[in-house]
Amino acid sequence: MTKVLVIDDETQIRRFLRAGFELHGYTVLEAENAMAGLRAATIDRPDLIILDLNLPDLDGASVLERIRSWSNLPIIVLSIEADEQEKVRLLKLGADDYVVKPFGISELLARGEAALRRQLRSADRDPVVRAGPLSVDLVSRVVTLDGNRVQLTRKEYTLLHALATHAGLVMTHQQLIREIWGGRAGNIQYLRILVRKLRQKVEIDPTRPLLILSESGVGYRLDLGSAGSLRGQNEITSDTVCS
Amino acid sequence: MNASRARLGFRTERFRKGKYVSTFQKRSRLGRLTAYNPKNDAGSAPAPQKSRWVNFVAANAAPVVASLALVWLATIGLLVLSNVIALNLIALVYMLPVVLAATQWGIVPGLVAAFAGAAAADFFFYPPRYSFWIESRQDVIDLLLYLLVAIVTSDLAARLKQAVDASRRREREITELHAFSQGLATCLTSRDLIFAIQDYLSTTLKYRAVLLASAPQDHGADADGTAVPEQIRQAAVKLMAANAPHAATIIEPRTNRAWLVRIIAPEILGYGAIAIELGHGSSERIGLIAKHVEAVLAEATVTLKHLKVKEAIEQAAINYRTEILRDALVGGVSHELRTPLASILGSCSVLNHRPAIRHDDESRSLVEAIHDQAAQLDNQIRDVLAAARISAKGVHPQLMWTDPTDIVDAAVKQKSRRLAGHQVVLELQRDIPLVHVDSALVEQAFGQLLENAAKYSPTGTEIKISSRCQHDYVELSVADQGSGLTADDKERLGKRCYRSDRNAAVSGSGLGLWIASTFVAANGGSLHAESQGPGFGATISLRLPTASEDTPELMDAIND
Repeated sequence: MTKVLVIDDETQIRRFLRAGFELHGYTVLEAENAMAGLRAATIDRPDLIILDLNLPDLDGASVLERIRSWSNLPIIVLSIEADEQEKVRLLKLGADDYVVKPFGISELLARGEAALRRQLRSADRDPVVRAGPLSVDLVSRVVTLDGNRVQLTRKEYTLLHALATHAGLVMTHQQLIREIWGGRAGNIQYLRILVRKLRQKVEIDPTRPLLILSESGVGYRLDLGSAGSLRGQNEITSDTVCS
Repeated sequence: MNASRARLGFRTERFRKGKYVSTFQKRSRLGRLTAYNPKNDAGSAPAPQKSRWVNFVAANAAPVVASLALVWLATIGLLVLSNVIALNLIALVYMLPVVLAATQWGIVPGLVAAFAGAAAADFFFYPPRYSFWIESRQDVIDLLLYLLVAIVTSDLAARLKQAVDASRRREREITELHAFSQGLATCLTSRDLIFAIQDYLSTTLKYRAVLLASAPQDHGADADGTAVPEQIRQAAVKLMAANAPHAATIIEPRTNRAWLVRIIAPEILGYGAIAIELGHGSSERIGLIAKHVEAVLAEATVTLKHLKVKEAIEQAAINYRTEILRDALVGGVSHELRTPLASILGSCSVLNHRPAIRHDDESRSLVEAIHDQAAQLDNQIRDVLAAARISAKGVHPQLMWTDPTDIVDAAVKQKSRRLAGHQVVLELQRDIPLVHVDSALVEQAFGQLLENAAKYSPTGTEIKISSRCQHDYVELSVADQGSGLTADDKERLGKRCYRSDRNAAVSGSGLGLWIASTFVAANGGSLHAESQGPGFGATISLRLPTASEDTPELMDAIND
């Protein structure tokens, strides 16, 4: 069973996270402060860590740095208030993704699963990433949409490749720009236009993107969950309240 | 919303679990009125006066030479034209240098020009020419008359000059004083205030002034680098102890610099004495400077009394506490209210996944009701916080090239549950130009438009989102089929806390559109409302400025 470690000092938050994760077959470990969290991360060897940034004894970012100094464990960061620069900083420090409170359990599960899958993929070397009707073969570089081959330019493919290797997880603008343009001057304006061109090739309706989603002020993610289906309007999801 | 937090100027870090760490202590000293410039020491100080006459000659030498030159010029001109100009006009021409010299340099050069003019006219023009002798009695009268008029004129012109100079000086003083009193109003701590006063005195006196605390252990105002020598400090303490009303000039032996120490209005400042660094010089010179400084100081003290410094100090303390309280409240509310709501919302989402609830319609609808109400509450708290932050700190957008499609998409997702009861029709153009905005703020603003449309139009009706591109802006519109707007609504829309009377039944704070219009305005855009009238629905549009993007480099960078 997959072990998830929840590091959060709010009892009520831990309680609903335990219920939510257990409902979906996880084993849940809890830590109510940074020190207990760091201990559990070392001793209990969880598969996934959910880390609240607002801990009483140590800054969440420091906890993140300490764990990253010895481990590549998937870490999802929780925070109640975070601006874009803070999010980018956390991603740079090695967080796999972030979720802003308040959030629905399905959003956190989706992020956690994406982070776990990425870990697994690097172990299994499964070359094909599937997101709804889209599939990207990372080895043969073949992209298909509903089984039909899609022709992409080299830059469009580099962009999609970068997103696919992190499927379900956010990639920052800077990470993407570095992947695509390398040392050469690239900027956010170029990236926006390139994303638009890619969307025109892979999205059913480029004005209502379902696959390549923008994270305001942070970056883009290739969405695995809602792709191919209509937006879950009557389901309680994080979309309703997160920002 | 979260995104806009730091941008609005608040630091989340300060509110880690209620442990508030004030950063006000670090607040920089308030804007200096005018920086004290030590180089002024010798230059603008009243010059040491060895003898009045020497000074007088030194001050007037250049203008006198200049006015003589003017007379010389007039003479040359007249010599050239002497055949055409009538004799009785000559005196008139010589009035010109007089008026010029008197208005420019004052009475002395004016008089010099008058006499020189008379002499030149007599010598060069009145017959017999090239002699000071005058033949005609009429010419003598003319010349005397000229001299009289010239003297009167130069006196008048010089007075005019004095009046103009004085009014300029007064204007400068008033401007300085105004800046000073404004500085006082923004002071947050009495320490800020002391610095403001020190600056004011330093500017007015043109010497470095340091306020010294009445209690010797309190080093107060001069704590940071503007140290006063210990001896001067002790002298000040002695003066204060004796409550001596006079000023004392003390030479600091180590640097041989003179200081003037004087008790200054302790009843208003709470600070006992002022020390003014006068610099080097003979005892005579120092004495003169001290006299001048005392005169200015007496005037400045009166000004300080008028400005109600005591009240300002008290107000500063209140401002400081208010600011701390507001920060703590905003931070506290954010954490203490929103964390439980996050638990409620999260728990609802878990409950909804449980088979027992998922298959029981009644329970499910109850869970959804809890969720929606909690989400609503959370939204309202965020609105109030946003409004408080806007009022306190303004909006500081972080601009970034953004695809308007993403703004609309994000806002629609944020409000998806609010919009669930309506038919949302999305008609966006595929090639909307990019906009250079803070996407999080614009998303929130657009979200407010959607929220409003959902709130004020009947369930089941259509809400249409569309885009329109003009040459210099992009317009994103939300059209509903709701109650519409009256002309009055249209005008007052976006005003803080304005709610149409017709919508009293719908809950809301009236903050939503105000926040939206503030955020949009901060991004260089604007909100526009259209309605055919009550009952015909409303269209609210958000306009954002665009810039051209189709540069050749861009195409190079993308293609391939």
